[in-house]
Amino acid sequence: MTESLYKVITKEELSQFGYALRETGTIYAPVKTSKESHSFKQVDTLTEADLEYHRTMIPPKKFFISPKETIFTFNKEKEEYNETPAVNEPLVLFGVHPCDINALNLLAKVYLESFTDKYYSERRENTTIIGISCTPDEYCFCKSTGTDYAREGFELFLHDIGDRYLVRVGSLKGYNLLQKHASLFREVTEEDLSLYRQAEKKRLASFTKSLEMSGLQDMLDMSYNSPIWEEYGEKCLCCGSCNLVCPRCRCYDVQDYIDLNLNTGQRERKWYSCMLKEHGLVAGGHNFRATSAERLRNRVNCKGSLKEDMTNCVGCGRCSAYCPAGIDYVEILQKIRGDIE
Amino acid sequence: MSKPKLGIFSLTGCGGDQLQILNMEDQLLDLVSRFDIVDFQEGSSRKVDGDIDIAFVEGTVSTEHDLKKLKEIRARSNVLIALGNCAIEGCIQSMRNGETTLSERLKDVYGVEEGFFDAKLSKPITEYVDVEFSIPGCPVEKEETLRGITSLLHGDSPPYYSYPVCVECKLNEYPCVIVEEGKPCLGPLIRAGCNARCPSLGLDCIGCRGPVEGAENFAAEYQMLLDKGYTKQDIMNRLRVFCGELGDDFLGGGDDE
Amino acid sequence: MTESNPLSPMKARITEIQQMTDIEKLIKLRFQNKTDASNFKYMPGQFIKLGVMGVGEAPISICTSQSDEPGLELCIRNAGRVTKALHNLNVGNTIWIRGPYGNGFPMEAIEGKDLLLVAGGLGIAPIRGVLQYALHHRELFGEISFLYGVRCYDLMLFKDEILDYFRHGDEKGVKLYLSYEDESDKVCYDLSCERDDRCTQGMVTKLFSMLDSKSNNSVSLIGGPPIMYKFTVRELEKMGFQPDEVYMTLERRMRCGVGQCGHCIVGTGKSIKYVCKDGPVFTLWDAMNTKGMI
Repeated sequence: MTESLYKVITKEELSQFGYALRETGTIYAPVKTSKESHSFKQVDTLTEADLEYHRTMIPPKKFFISPKETIFTFNKEKEEYNETPAVNEPLVLFGVHPCDINALNLLAKVYLESFTDKYYSERRENTTIIGISCTPDEYCFCKSTGTDYAREGFELFLHDIGDRYLVRVGSLKGYNLLQKHASLFREVTEEDLSLYRQAEKKRLASFTKSLEMSGLQDMLDMSYNSPIWEEYGEKCLCCGSCNLVCPRCRCYDVQDYIDLNLNTGQRERKWYSCMLKEHGLVAGGHNFRATSAERLRNRVNCKGSLKEDMTNCVGCGRCSAYCPAGIDYVEILQKIRGDIE
Repeated sequence: MSKPKLGIFSLTGCGGDQLQILNMEDQLLDLVSRFDIVDFQEGSSRKVDGDIDIAFVEGTVSTEHDLKKLKEIRARSNVLIALGNCAIEGCIQSMRNGETTLSERLKDVYGVEEGFFDAKLSKPITEYVDVEFSIPGCPVEKEETLRGITSLLHGDSPPYYSYPVCVECKLNEYPCVIVEEGKPCLGPLIRAGCNARCPSLGLDCIGCRGPVEGAENFAAEYQMLLDKGYTKQDIMNRLRVFCGELGDDFLGGGDDE
Repeated sequence: MTESNPLSPMKARITEIQQMTDIEKLIKLRFQNKTDASNFKYMPGQFIKLGVMGVGEAPISICTSQSDEPGLELCIRNAGRVTKALHNLNVGNTIWIRGPYGNGFPMEAIEGKDLLLVAGGLGIAPIRGVLQYALHHRELFGEISFLYGVRCYDLMLFKDEILDYFRHGDEKGVKLYLSYEDESDKVCYDLSCERDDRCTQGMVTKLFSMLDSKSNNSVSLIGGPPIMYKFTVRELEKMGFQPDEVYMTLERRMRCGVGQCGHCIVGTGKSIKYVCKDGPVFTLWDAMNTKGMI
């Protein structure tokens, strides 16, 4: 095997590739859904997609942990339950940004590490992820969190270098996909490489938001009793939006429902948020995080913590962009650092 | 085992919550067959005295007659459930409480003094009696009401929504009308359970399900709307419709500039 | 838990129910499936998720030590929707189990040590498992002292066992000390007259003055309500326990039990822990590193 793992495809030919990808699976790509929002939606051709998007409101985690799902249905008389069969429909997620790819890598650890969630692993195996490079907007700070570049967790990654894309192969599945559609791709030339270097330089220079990460964890720890939590807690609506749009948040709630026959019913799992009042409530009535300030402190600390040297936040900017109260996550941490007043 | 006795009562209100129960056409026969219905004004002329296992009460207490009726129901009932926003928060009838007096209103509308009618200042039933549970909404959601009744039959408490509408907007991927359009949406304050019906149509939440239990974020919502350019009067008018009687104390002293 | 999904429960049947107090029941149960029964290996301090279909699941600590006898004992306080439903069940009813979850007390790592067990309220459930384990492997441990604080006699859990240890514990290899809060409690008062060196009115911390000084080879294992930890830890520190010699089991909201759902999160940016997966047993050192634990 001497085949290169770097290729080039022209923008013109990309639509053909998109068309060909329909053999691989149902294609989901970022589609503009409102003035400010994009969403990963099913598309027939890539012309429906907006590949220049900044972010989708709901991250691609929705394909792996459904916002709402039935875990199983039960029958009390028969004393049995039936797990919801895993969905095995092959998917192609086209146009995923590096922050979201890195977030999925971290999410997979939670779902596959100590207790393997077969549903999650099957869904990942049935999914082809095609990443795409992006230009930061005023909310992006993924360069600070070290998640602005995808090293793994994708099949192919497309770097926009003008009228063409430089394509990186991230997995054997991606390699085979390239082989299958080899005629659409060509080898990388010196000129392509030069364009790629320029594009990266330009991308890295265009970040306007940044956050120094070094020592942040200890600063957070020492700021446990800081008045900053009250200050932002008062502003916070406790609506849960920040968590629900976060590509790394994975809290969920489980609830049972029984039918009127008092025999059959189902157990459901739904996304949840640590900003909601009952997140830390235990039976008997004690709430470990009863106030908005305590919950906000918990959220910011959770995001600011490290998991195997990766921050729990990938710098996508969603929590700030979609906060109805206009709370800026980075601003809180900059205050914790003493970088701003 | 004999069937539990169920009563569904109306005080002052539009009767829309009882109507929602009647609207459960697919489950209605199954539902009523599980109970001995002792009172259901909109569904049956049959009325039976005596103890009630589960009583639903909709509407506000707006007359002395309402109050007497409510107290009688409470005394007869093992479990009493406030059904709908009127019974829980007072709804539209109570929206001007604290702004104008009853006699002013009687004079304005009917040209009579207080005492001419049997009228009282409209209040939710929760002002006068303890209720075991409540099912919110204006009107209540059919499915939530059915689930509530089913849970009670199952010996459990009705499920309730401890989180706001925003959660349902996100679960359904509805764009945020506050963030994107600056609309005065009350979603962050208001109990979920409607599956974000209004935002799904691009409309801002007007709060018909009432505030989340123990909502601590009124002041934050108020400040946010002030910052977006709404006046104190705009905001108060909006909140008063379904959020019950509001003093200015929760606002944390925000000025209307 | 099945191979495919960590949220799938195993079926068990209730074999015995004992009303322990007004609000606590001891429920004994047996797995319906032989493989489930033989695969179910646990350590004291681990917990399970116990469920009633149509209502939900609650985290319950296992209050026994693994033995050859089939089945499982659980002490359940009627404190919420699910535990209320569990209290409404009868012998012969089906119940659903996932687990065991969490780390449990490190019984093997503390072999050869003197044990100081401290329990308050429902915290006795996991500590009882520890005691059973230690007594079952009596030769592997040094001296065992057990401090148990109750509000009053009526709320005392495992009364027969506790009284048996109180009167005959020394022969079985455990010194039991008892404290009670309610001054007007006649039964407890009589116990304090019976052995004033082993029973006193007051909080559980009052019992520390009755203990011999700490041996250089001892560890403390504690279980109780959040408020108890702060005061107990203070006494243990006074006695000279190092932060890694104190083990405590924590209670939090736990939906999943497998470190996914996030409700049991505790800590700061420096150290985030999930009580269900990283605990529920933590050392005092863990607590010093993880703000908000106690």
